[in-house]
Amino acid sequence: MRTRPLCAILIAAALMAGAATGCEKKSATGSQPAAEPGGAAASAKPIVIGSTLSLSGAFAATGQIHKIAGEEFLDRLNQAGGLLGRKVVWTVRDDESDQAKVATLYEQLISQDKVDLLMGPYATPNILSAMAVAERHGYVLPQHTSVLAPLMKYPCQFPGWSFGFTPNEFVPGQLFDAMASLPRPPKKIAILTNQNGSTDFVSYGAGDNKKGFVSIARERGLEVVAEIKYPPGASTSWAPLATQVRDAKPDLVINSGLGIDPVNLLQAMAQLDYSPPLMFSLFPAPGPLIKLGPAADRFLSATIFEPDQAILDKLGPAATEIVKDFKRRATEAKLAYTAPETQAVASWNAWDILVSGVKAAGSVDNKAICDALHRQGADTTFSGHLTFDPAHNNFWPPTTSGLTQIQDGHWVSVWPAERAAAPIKPPPG
Amino acid sequence: MKFLQAALTGMLLGGLHALMAAGLSLSWGVLRIINLTHFGLILLGAYLTFQIASSWHIDPILTLVVTVPVLFAAGALLQWGFDRLAVTELNSLLLSFGLLIIMVQAVSNLWTADFRQMAIDVNPYATGSLSVGRLVFPSTTLIAFALSVLLIGAGHQALQRTFIGRALRAFAMDRTVAAAFGIDHRRISILLAGIAGGSAAVAGMLFALSTALTPFTAFEWFGIVFAVVILGGIGNVVGTLLAGLLVGALSSLASVIHSPATEPFVVFSLIVVALLVRPQGLFARAGGH
Repeated sequence: MRTRPLCAILIAAALMAGAATGCEKKSATGSQPAAEPGGAAASAKPIVIGSTLSLSGAFAATGQIHKIAGEEFLDRLNQAGGLLGRKVVWTVRDDESDQAKVATLYEQLISQDKVDLLMGPYATPNILSAMAVAERHGYVLPQHTSVLAPLMKYPCQFPGWSFGFTPNEFVPGQLFDAMASLPRPPKKIAILTNQNGSTDFVSYGAGDNKKGFVSIARERGLEVVAEIKYPPGASTSWAPLATQVRDAKPDLVINSGLGIDPVNLLQAMAQLDYSPPLMFSLFPAPGPLIKLGPAADRFLSATIFEPDQAILDKLGPAATEIVKDFKRRATEAKLAYTAPETQAVASWNAWDILVSGVKAAGSVDNKAICDALHRQGADTTFSGHLTFDPAHNNFWPPTTSGLTQIQDGHWVSVWPAERAAAPIKPPPG
Repeated sequence: MKFLQAALTGMLLGGLHALMAAGLSLSWGVLRIINLTHFGLILLGAYLTFQIASSWHIDPILTLVVTVPVLFAAGALLQWGFDRLAVTELNSLLLSFGLLIIMVQAVSNLWTADFRQMAIDVNPYATGSLSVGRLVFPSTTLIAFALSVLLIGAGHQALQRTFIGRALRAFAMDRTVAAAFGIDHRRISILLAGIAGGSAAVAGMLFALSTALTPFTAFEWFGIVFAVVILGGIGNVVGTLLAGLLVGALSSLASVIHSPATEPFVVFSLIVVALLVRPQGLFARAGGH
């Protein structure tokens, strides 16, 4: 009597699981070229690049951006004839935002799939895991967004973004410089730090270098009226944090946080009928902040790229075309925020670095690529020519880093002045 | 004043946790099913709220007209499946965890893993509040508190005063004896699971009011919700409400007095102490489940 319902449920579960795995497999096969490149590229054995991305789990919202950027990059590369006259195929696996799985998957990519080249995963903890495997096998590892520059000691890892070798000094310094340029610079600041490795590092430093938002603020004579640490994860109660910030009456709130942390904080403060004069967050999710409407106006964040028209004009038509195509793909993928900003461009840079290295080496020999990148640097579409100094763990000078601000519902580059699309909007009144 | 504000805001937020926990507690206590798909139903409720409110531009609270019946049916269907498969209490943990993973993946496939949040013009509660003197009560938590007191209070009254409620309690105490008295355990189990599904719809709506959604949030609710279920006493809905308020207030106070980083320490220390002193839960009578 029980067999029929049992079978029905098992079949239904298997179908649903099939739908889920089917989807994963699709991402596992990665980016196939949209159009077959002609001639040699079509006939020669393809170059296989392996990587993982967080397509599920805590980092998945950002992992998707890197997937879209990588697919777009490779489609364009293959349409232009591939690399060394060979088609390029990307094998990308879902690491489920799990640092332990990252190491296993990179081992598999190298030992079993025998990929020619590697691309890094997303998020600092995952990159650290992948880097250890890449180093063990002597593979070059371009990586998108590691913040913990002093820990990235493998000479053949190459960062796609850079806030310099000491981001814990550079980011606070740049923010305080920008604030000092305002007609009435903030004097009292509140600092709220997510205890995630990257954000904690920017607030408090690491190892021998203990500099960060807190110490640098004090060095510059700013009064830290609230200093709050909170654990990573969605369970954080934001109302008590908002209450403490409101009662401290800061001129500037610095949230060394990630994702939707600043959204939750701003919302909790708005519920207390409190709006901070200015607020900054390190790595926010750009879409949900825009959706907050006026509550997020004047909100500041760190950036390496915003698709402002002035910047696109300077970069040329290729960059404009890439931005347009990314928006189309992001819309198709149902992303909430479709403009390519810091994450997408960091990803693009990492692919540019890999291609530059292969072209300079004239082969997919990883040692030759690593040497070529150290010797010649890399040409990137969005960040120009980059040079890599192993003494600084290859973190290039932060020439493209700046601040972006929400102005009338849009993210706009506001700092440094020479690369700004608009001046910083000061606090009301 | 700072501490009073923190305690009150934490208690209000505790209402949401209590509502999230109530369905799980009843399922565990009465049906002997540790139903982790309850987290999936809450997640689905949150995403349906987002989708309906954003697409139709209606007040998110009104989406309950659609989501409660849908998730009632989903909860009932799941219980029908558990019953047909004769799932034991311990096995239910593994089976429902598998189903939860499928649900989370399905939500991710439908809505992507990207953050989803109702725009402020659709969800005015996100930044609204009520002020009483110097005390401020965020709208989202006020609504959560009010709905949890209302629904859990009604659930408690139904369990105490109606025939079905008495039947459920009898069923929870001794299935064989209850069956001997003509209680159709299948029907009332499905009804109870449906009600738990409906409560998940309300909890999901409340969660969507207060923050951005990602599919994998479901796994982050485990700690706080299980804390509330265990402290409240498994199967004890009023205890769940009281535990939710207690955990909310203590977490919030810990956050203000020391640091938000100490919140989990306080909550789980409380669980350890409670289990040592009152293994049946802080708000349950000895001899319960």
